[in-house]
Amino acid sequence: MSNALLEAFVALQDWLLAHLLEPVLLTLGLGSYLEMAFDGVEFFLCGVLQITAAYLLLRPLEALRPIEVWPDRKAVRVDVLYSLLDRLGIIPLLVFALLAPLFVSVDGWLRFHDIIPPQLEDLFPALEARPLLSFLIYLILLDFAEYWRHRFSHTLRWWWALHAIHHSQRQMTLWTDSRNHLLDDLIGGFWFAVIALLIGVPPGHFIILLIAVKTVENLSHVNARLSFGRLGELLLVSPRYHRWHHAIELPEGRQYRFGCNFAILFPIWDQLFGTQYRGQAMPPSGLSHGPLAESAAQSGFWRQQWEGLRALLATVLPASSPPQTALAHAPTTAVPLPSHAADQQRARHPSETP
Amino acid sequence: MIALFFAHIVRRPAGWLLMILLLCSTTAAHALLAIALNSADGTISLIDTETYQVTGKATVCKEPHHLMPTPDEKSVVIACAASNQLVFFDPTTGQEQKRIRNISDPYQLGYSPNRKWFVATSLRLDRVDLYDPTDFRLLARLPAPKTPSHMAFDDGSQFVFVTLQDSNEVMAISLGTQKIVWVMPVAATPAGIVMSPDNRYLLVACMGEGVVEVIDWRAQKSVRKVPTATAAHNLQPKGDGRHFFVSNRSVDGSISLLDTQTMTVVEKYDVPGGPDDMMVRADGKELWATARFARKVQVIDLVSKKLKMSIPVGSSPHGVFFLNHAGLR
Repeated sequence: MSNALLEAFVALQDWLLAHLLEPVLLTLGLGSYLEMAFDGVEFFLCGVLQITAAYLLLRPLEALRPIEVWPDRKAVRVDVLYSLLDRLGIIPLLVFALLAPLFVSVDGWLRFHDIIPPQLEDLFPALEARPLLSFLIYLILLDFAEYWRHRFSHTLRWWWALHAIHHSQRQMTLWTDSRNHLLDDLIGGFWFAVIALLIGVPPGHFIILLIAVKTVENLSHVNARLSFGRLGELLLVSPRYHRWHHAIELPEGRQYRFGCNFAILFPIWDQLFGTQYRGQAMPPSGLSHGPLAESAAQSGFWRQQWEGLRALLATVLPASSPPQTALAHAPTTAVPLPSHAADQQRARHPSETP
Repeated sequence: MIALFFAHIVRRPAGWLLMILLLCSTTAAHALLAIALNSADGTISLIDTETYQVTGKATVCKEPHHLMPTPDEKSVVIACAASNQLVFFDPTTGQEQKRIRNISDPYQLGYSPNRKWFVATSLRLDRVDLYDPTDFRLLARLPAPKTPSHMAFDDGSQFVFVTLQDSNEVMAISLGTQKIVWVMPVAATPAGIVMSPDNRYLLVACMGEGVVEVIDWRAQKSVRKVPTATAAHNLQPKGDGRHFFVSNRSVDGSISLLDTQTMTVVEKYDVPGGPDDMMVRADGKELWATARFARKVQVIDLVSKKLKMSIPVGSSPHGVFFLNHAGLR
């Protein structure tokens, strides 16, 4: 069965390469890029499978056990567009095209001068023959790096100006994960590439690593009453756990002034670095105030990109004008906040005033 | 102790029988194994060349790209581009023999005919490295923009010639002086390169034009272009001192047989899946080729001129080797 599926996958991959990309590349004298195009088609097909699986598995959950019920889902449409652009490879291709020459130049210079960045297997040669263990270690290391990238994107004011787009969605669904400013994606790609270069992530692991991360991220944004229990949420980020990260108002406490629950896959990082909040409730998501105009948060792709850029410029160029109106959400009417004693909340970002 | 054991068994008929069986099984193991290299998986597949069954798989490293035998054929060397290693395998058993670390980004490998030079190209980082093959000490590192891909040597081991895939050139490096001596333009996207059996011409497979370009390397002059098929990529000697197989690495794929005396294509076989690296059996009856885009090793029956077998291996197979092969030059 699995062989038949693999055969069908490879046949489709070959067909797409042969009929869509190969003629174009060869005509343009870009035959060198055939292997890369082959990998690109694989990424695309994996994206189609991943997004289909996420929809088939998670959308029924959203329908059956919704946290919030909305009169319509118009606000979700832009997130679907973000997801398609991300998962089907358009945004990753852009990021790769921009970053690859830079990284090849740096890596080329280093190695020309016989500076070879040490890799995990150089330190622990036993990993050479244990691909599964090696995969798990790379997953943990990358998740650790992602925790800090995510935390910095909340802490640094200029970065938060971009990342706020992701948090501005009040109708958080399985599609919200990919809702990001393109510059935020570019910085994320840069971060990932630096880490990958430093620890030597095996190219063969890339797609599986991405699928693993993206699948959990789809799940963690889902609009469904779902938790993994107290024990489960020590091991893996659940929708309830991540919902607190998106909460319109954050928990009390200085440690949460920039947010809480930054972990992407493994909550252990929040626990270790004091940013974990184990709320029992399912709070409404969004921003009570922030660098983005409310109208922009509700708008389409290009408007959001433009407003994100403006917000970024406003943080780095003091003289420039801020966005027209800062976000000042009224308390959500979709779902009443549960009155859990532990779920005391406060404003979102200390550097912003409502 | 060992002498006593042998003295004991040779005195008995059953002992002789046992020894003959042992010898036969060893000989058979030498002839049976093929090693296919899976670049994207970082593994090798071990294939029984008689039954065409995959009998084993071993993890090698990150992004292994090409393999080649050592001159004495006691090892197969695998170039691990992303791991910065050379990994040596026993071609009779498929067992790992040793690893050499800190070989920066090796992609394609080559021993000079006089065995004094070991050359590695770094396709990704635009570089050619010359090593001492006895201890793999780096002797020279030369910039080679852009994307140095395959290599060939002249019979006298004076030069190594390297295709520059993205700048559409061939570069000649003097092994004596360890300097680049010339660079000349060729057809688009040159990849595979070999020396003709008479040591007069370089044959360069150019993917962008689907041709093999014939170069008089002493005069640095293009002599002719022999059309093969879309995406002509690599060359492998048939072992008769005259013909070369040319893999045309498109998805629909084919392999052409080039006669170097007439410089014409004399046969062509349909080989789907992006045929890339090849190996001919010593009896000349089979051609094995890795199909990059099909995750298979394709076996072509050279008698019936048909695809005989498709052996599923790992992702992006990029090299195949077995000991029972035809001549490699």
